[in-house]
Amino acid sequence: MPLPLKYNFRNLVVRKGTTIATALSLGITIAVFLMVMALAKGIDLTLETSGEPLNLLVLRNGSTAELNSDVTRENLNNLQFLDGIGRDGDQPKVAPEIVTVIYKAHKGETQGGNVTIRGVTPMSSALRTGFNLVQGRMLKYGLAEAVVSKRMSDRFQGLDIGDKFKVGSTEYSIVGIFEAGGKTFESEIWADVNSLRNALNRESYSSVLIRAKDSNALAALAKRITNDPQLQLKAEAEQDFYLEQQGPTTLSLKILAAFIAIIMSIGAGFAGMNTMYAAVAQRTREIGTLRVLGFGRASILTSFVLEALVIAVIGVAIGVLLSLPLNFVSAGTSNNTTFSEVAFNFRVTPWLIAIAFVFGIAVGLFGSVLPSVQAARFKIVDALRS
Amino acid sequence: MKYGKLILKNVFRNVRRTVLTISSLAVSLFLIVTLATVVTEFTRGSSEANPLRLVTGHAMSLGLEIPIAYQSRIAAVPGVKVAIPYNWFGGEYKDPQDMFANFSVDAKLLREYQPELKMSDAQWSAFVDDRQGAIVGIRLADKYNWKIGDRVTLRSPIYRVSPEFIIRGIYSSGDEKVMFFHYEYVNEMESPFFKDKVSTFGIVANSIDDTTRIPRAVDAMFVNSDAPTKTESEREFAISFQSMMGNFQTFIYAIIGAIIFSLMLVVANSMSMSVRERTKEVGTLKALGFQRGAITWLFIGESLLLAITGSALGIGGAVLLYHAKDFSAMIPFMQSFVPTNETVLLSFVTAVLIGVLSVTYSALRVSGLTIAEALRRVE
Repeated sequence: MPLPLKYNFRNLVVRKGTTIATALSLGITIAVFLMVMALAKGIDLTLETSGEPLNLLVLRNGSTAELNSDVTRENLNNLQFLDGIGRDGDQPKVAPEIVTVIYKAHKGETQGGNVTIRGVTPMSSALRTGFNLVQGRMLKYGLAEAVVSKRMSDRFQGLDIGDKFKVGSTEYSIVGIFEAGGKTFESEIWADVNSLRNALNRESYSSVLIRAKDSNALAALAKRITNDPQLQLKAEAEQDFYLEQQGPTTLSLKILAAFIAIIMSIGAGFAGMNTMYAAVAQRTREIGTLRVLGFGRASILTSFVLEALVIAVIGVAIGVLLSLPLNFVSAGTSNNTTFSEVAFNFRVTPWLIAIAFVFGIAVGLFGSVLPSVQAARFKIVDALRS
Repeated sequence: MKYGKLILKNVFRNVRRTVLTISSLAVSLFLIVTLATVVTEFTRGSSEANPLRLVTGHAMSLGLEIPIAYQSRIAAVPGVKVAIPYNWFGGEYKDPQDMFANFSVDAKLLREYQPELKMSDAQWSAFVDDRQGAIVGIRLADKYNWKIGDRVTLRSPIYRVSPEFIIRGIYSSGDEKVMFFHYEYVNEMESPFFKDKVSTFGIVANSIDDTTRIPRAVDAMFVNSDAPTKTESEREFAISFQSMMGNFQTFIYAIIGAIIFSLMLVVANSMSMSVRERTKEVGTLKALGFQRGAITWLFIGESLLLAITGSALGIGGAVLLYHAKDFSAMIPFMQSFVPTNETVLLSFVTAVLIGVLSVTYSALRVSGLTIAEALRRVE
């Protein structure tokens, strides 16, 4: 089937104002869709990568987050000597931790949010990959010192090296800044667990992180701890714990993205239809000429649909280009149970871009099929006489 | 208005294009109203706050609790009319995903604290007299089909208790999607870690003047204790609660801005096609003695007519839909889902501006041509 492609494409160039306006309106639709989806993707990725495969998180039975959990020192003593726990020399790979929050103002605003403070032991960073000090030094255990994640330091006032903050009556000095490859604990402040327990006047811990020897031991340990009636604890693979948290938030974002994208694309689709109808109406005589030259109805139909698809592809490309800088934007949202802030990056992934293309082409088809059918239906005589 | 008929004729000259443009306007404005309503409903707590009410919580975080013993000390502060434990219980009913707000409170003081909750005297006293009693807002009662006397069990993952309540009253007005019950009743079941503590106290001040003194006086009492407090107005409390959701509002406004821009392109594109097609006619009009201004206004009028019709359909459709069906039931903690008057007005003004701005350039260009240029134009 011969196609008068050159003719169609040249027309796009000749009518560049309309082409650009139509492509841009689709492009903005795509950009908005990508923006909301990139937000959902960013949260998903942060939580997906946060758990270590062999780590087990022990919380009080019934707790949904570390902040409202409570593990006694007696519990900790019982946990430490269970079979299947990895060892570092004669040290069990067990990190009792405490989690609390402080309220801090956002940079450049009077309002702020809660920042999570985690009381840690030297084992805590050993059990988490990706902990990386980028500035200053590590905190000294036993002292009222803290290290702050780069993201929190960037987002909140008074969280730089040399700054001080208070927990209870204890004043902590910030001595270092760390990064953690985008994991959730990159939204935290770390301090010594025992010092923090004193500051909070608290006997117990919030949670215990345990590294199992291997995956069999992980399952066995989880079962053993959860089923022990004396402990009243719940042990869960750390990965599962984070996966459970992402569900509701990102699902509602994805629904929002779909809702907005569908309604906006109806608008963009109508705009495309307008453009294509005008293109066909203005070129009726030219279409007649093409038919005289031997191009069949099918050729006319296909070539006009292709013309519209080129506009659609330009539109998607614009939308993707507009959304790509989002990859460098970080945002914060609040955890539903702890009210503390979790920072993450927008992520425009190749998969999302692929979805955007499919979606844009669908809108292009929606806007072009009817006008193209009209173009193909002209009788040669009528078209030439118009 | 003397050109009204001409404008109308021009609008209907290309019915298909008019319909498509109006439809684009209508769906986009529907979306704008919907998104703006998400924001206004979300910030309702701060815009409708009672200026006499204050909230006291833990100075560090809402996730931490303060002793119930503070109640009597706060109540004794000069200017305080009522101090009531107002504790977020976080109870879940059957489906944990299907959340609604529920608080354990001092039942005796609730009516004085929140006079907007309307219920008969008999129901109020039935609630106060029954330790196991609870009251629910009418919309919550309708949703779960609860009647007075029904037994309802909530499970709180925070406090790890599952108390059973008996519904003693159903109130209307205020936030009608909340459940209240006795603090003493649930407190007794809680483990030592949580017992005798609350997340927040509600305070009613005697006068507006007192609302500035009370926070300082209350917070000063506990500043050196294990649980220092932060007291703020109901409005400030709502704002800081909202800001914890992150830059949600900015995000939605960015989306609305993008929709407006995109809509502008759609209307401008459609109008420029219609202007360009009529270049020759503009020549004729000019030959007949029409001035540049009059011709420009003809096009602006045409575009305005499209914008007003489209926005009437989109905004009107949204208002009708959201009044007819309550979508807030699908969103946890949202009291209602009704566009405000400001939203309706602002969306309409936006549509009118889009109508005017999107055609101005092409209209001015065409109307500025000389008669000869316009008549010579081949399209």
